[in-house]
Amino acid sequence: MESIIRAWRTAHAEENGKLLASTISLTNTDLEEFAYSTNPARVAEDIFRSLEYENNASRPKITNKTGLEAWAEVYVAFWKVAQALERHDEVEWGQVYAATKDMTQAVIRGFQNGLWDVWQLEVLYTACKYLRYVAIRSDEAKRSNGEDTWKSLEDAARVINRAFNVCLNDRAELAQSRKWGTYYIINILFKTYFKLNAITLSKNILKALVANTTEMPDLLDFRTSDVVTFKYYCGVIAFLDEDYVKAEEHLEMAYQLCHKAAQKNKELILTYLIPTKLLTRRQLPSATLLKPYPLLESLFLPLAKCIKSGDLRGYDENLARGEDWFVKKRIFLTLERGRDITLRNLFRKVYLAAGDSKTRIPVDHFKAAVSWKSGVELETEEVECYLANMIYKGYIKGYISREKGMVVLSGSNAFPGTGV
Amino acid sequence: MTTPPWRAAGGTAVQRPSFHPVAIRKSLGKSNNSSTYPTAQALQQPQQQQQKQQQQAARRTQFPDALKAYVARTFEDCPSENKAEVEVSLKKIITDAFENETVWTIDWATYPLPAAARRQSTTNSDKMDISSGDDSSPISNSPAKNNFNSVSKGSKRKLSSRIASDKNEFAVTRPDKKYKKTSASNYSYEGPDAFKRLDKRYKRHQTKNVFSHYNAMHSALDSPAFAPIVGRATNLEKRYLRLTSAPDPDTVRPLHVLEKTLELLKSKWKAENNYSYICDQFKSLRQDLTVQHIKNDFTINVYEIHARIALEKADLGEYNQCQSQLANLYSEKIPGGHPHEFKAYRILYLLHTCNRTDMNDILASLTPAEKEDRAILHALAVRSAVAGGNFHRFFKLYLDAPNMGGYLMDSFIDRERLAALAAICKSYRPDIPFRHITEELGFENDAECEAFIVKHNAGNFIKTKESSKDEGNSKIVLETAKALPTIEGAKAAAFKKVDIKGQI
Repeated sequence: MESIIRAWRTAHAEENGKLLASTISLTNTDLEEFAYSTNPARVAEDIFRSLEYENNASRPKITNKTGLEAWAEVYVAFWKVAQALERHDEVEWGQVYAATKDMTQAVIRGFQNGLWDVWQLEVLYTACKYLRYVAIRSDEAKRSNGEDTWKSLEDAARVINRAFNVCLNDRAELAQSRKWGTYYIINILFKTYFKLNAITLSKNILKALVANTTEMPDLLDFRTSDVVTFKYYCGVIAFLDEDYVKAEEHLEMAYQLCHKAAQKNKELILTYLIPTKLLTRRQLPSATLLKPYPLLESLFLPLAKCIKSGDLRGYDENLARGEDWFVKKRIFLTLERGRDITLRNLFRKVYLAAGDSKTRIPVDHFKAAVSWKSGVELETEEVECYLANMIYKGYIKGYISREKGMVVLSGSNAFPGTGV
Repeated sequence: MTTPPWRAAGGTAVQRPSFHPVAIRKSLGKSNNSSTYPTAQALQQPQQQQQKQQQQAARRTQFPDALKAYVARTFEDCPSENKAEVEVSLKKIITDAFENETVWTIDWATYPLPAAARRQSTTNSDKMDISSGDDSSPISNSPAKNNFNSVSKGSKRKLSSRIASDKNEFAVTRPDKKYKKTSASNYSYEGPDAFKRLDKRYKRHQTKNVFSHYNAMHSALDSPAFAPIVGRATNLEKRYLRLTSAPDPDTVRPLHVLEKTLELLKSKWKAENNYSYICDQFKSLRQDLTVQHIKNDFTINVYEIHARIALEKADLGEYNQCQSQLANLYSEKIPGGHPHEFKAYRILYLLHTCNRTDMNDILASLTPAEKEDRAILHALAVRSAVAGGNFHRFFKLYLDAPNMGGYLMDSFIDRERLAALAAICKSYRPDIPFRHITEELGFENDAECEAFIVKHNAGNFIKTKESSKDEGNSKIVLETAKALPTIEGAKAAAFKKVDIKGQI
């Protein structure tokens, strides 16, 4: 116990948030020693005494009696966490969760009562981070017992939401405001809501944030890591809302700011940025871009090649091949729209093959091309349907004359945006 | 008169006041243990009883019809593992009734069943507030509940921190930048792989199933503190009334009555086809199932039948309520029903509501077996046709929908027709043969197609065109360029947000 409480004192002397946070971390190397250093009957008294001793030895004193009591609450709860993790042959994650929740709530209370300074926010981060982790383990354990539940994680989300409000609604001056913790906590909340498949709740957070935006520091003044994660989630939320323009903006920013070594994060961002760009700019990823990401490369590159060459069958096959992953990532329905572009590229080739500035092309030519490239003999009506859609969506400029069985293309710029 | 021991037990507290002069309960709410001790009164009068026994011997072999029905009712809904127990208590009830001469006076139709004959019954059944708590509510099953409320209070800050902040009033830099100091301590900071280390460290704990203790504790808390009620009503039909308080067992029909109700409703629906009556009756039927926590193949049957009837009558709100309940019932692995058929409906329904998020979820949830089901394959093909704007294939699928999928597609067929017509009007010049529209948009005949176009105010653009080549043959065509703005307007109106009550 001494080492943890001594670290508490050192951290205060240095105003070192990270060190302070490490004293309630589940990866603390002294966890086992701490768990065995006292017992349930004595824990409250032992911890308070220990804190009091370090406090009295400090010049100036770290805190008053109320402050000591608040810290004692945190460390007593943390001791229960340590005990649940270390002193049983088998960890009962339900117990660990209950104790971690107590600890997080004690931390939130400390901030709510204005006892702690902004440099101590790291403690809140650590508590929330582990609360989420432990909740997931607790639910997993119950699910492996055949119970279909997300109760712990739902509960954790409510607690973290309180932490979010404690940060967001702080009215102290900016330099001393807990608002600086807002984005870190939001990111944990987003992660939690996404896991719970409760994405609408993320939107509530964004609404609360917009309502407070005038008093917030500029986003770019926050830690870059927080900004990247935040922008990534905003991008995904916009993506799921089919607001691709906004999604592109957010994701692009996340991608640009992302640390160059953060391979995994860049992969996550690209997962959504690639389908977004396909729709907003009809842009395809290059082989060089995909090279560092084997998974993305194996799924997106063949798809991109098929779109470029107008290979309908290849496109369908590759989409089906990656369907499970695409659906899981929620990009399947968006990628599906790439078929239009594949079709456009195929029709463009028909136009080019017909020779210079030939504007009247029989529907049968298009039919032959589609049948060949999709491997299925199509009816004329279905091909006309494709053509009608292309014209309606602005991929092709021209019209169909049913009487003559001809497609009449515009003399100039018949395939807008492709240089033809 | 005596108070027989089984009566003093108070095992069924929801009893009606009895009309026969026996029961004066002395020990309401006491546990069943007291029934093993005869009451003092009963002990005082053994002789009287003996005399009566002799008198009654003659009547003993006769049973009232109501009692026979009561016995049947007892065993009907009795869990098989409790049968032995039920038999014992039933024997006791009947013997006592004979001995106390109450066998002909007891109102057997409303008489409470032996405790063991009920599923999940507990003794404190006087508390039956079903609306209390998420756990006991039979309806809530979704992982995402909108109850993440938050509490926030204004905070008092330390004065010292205020003063401190005054010093650097110009600086609005991030606080953690200022306080970057190296620590002399040997603590390792959280690395990026903290969770991985944790996973590794406690991995040994995951191998075994060690949560039984916690689960046992948890499920004890979870188990409904408020037992589901068991109804006593015997009337087959009942008007639907939204519950505003705890249900009264006297107006709730038990399972065996509900089963007869369903048969009655089925035959009435065939005979009379009166939807408002049927819908009302089914709603009360569903309500009775809900308040009694009955979840079995019969429940599924009721919801499926109601869903199909609602589909037939294009009552999508009611259909949707049934569907969401069915989804829950299927996911609880209750046997019976037609999960594939209804999954296909669900896909079509999501097309109707343009709900892409749920559509993605349902695509993710499809199992290989489901992907081979005819109805689901059809629904998936419809989805893909709608997504790709392939109206040619879409209307072919419309004419070839399995089960009742056609009824569901009816709900968005007009919308899709307008979308297709808009594309046609935009792309065909100078006009399009009327017959082509009829065929491509899945109309049964030209008249139906004409009615559709006239309904959307584009009737003026249908023209007769004299063909120069064909000998005097005239053709009916739609003037595409002129019709386009009108059709575009109608399409935009049709695609406005679909709003349906009971939407999930």
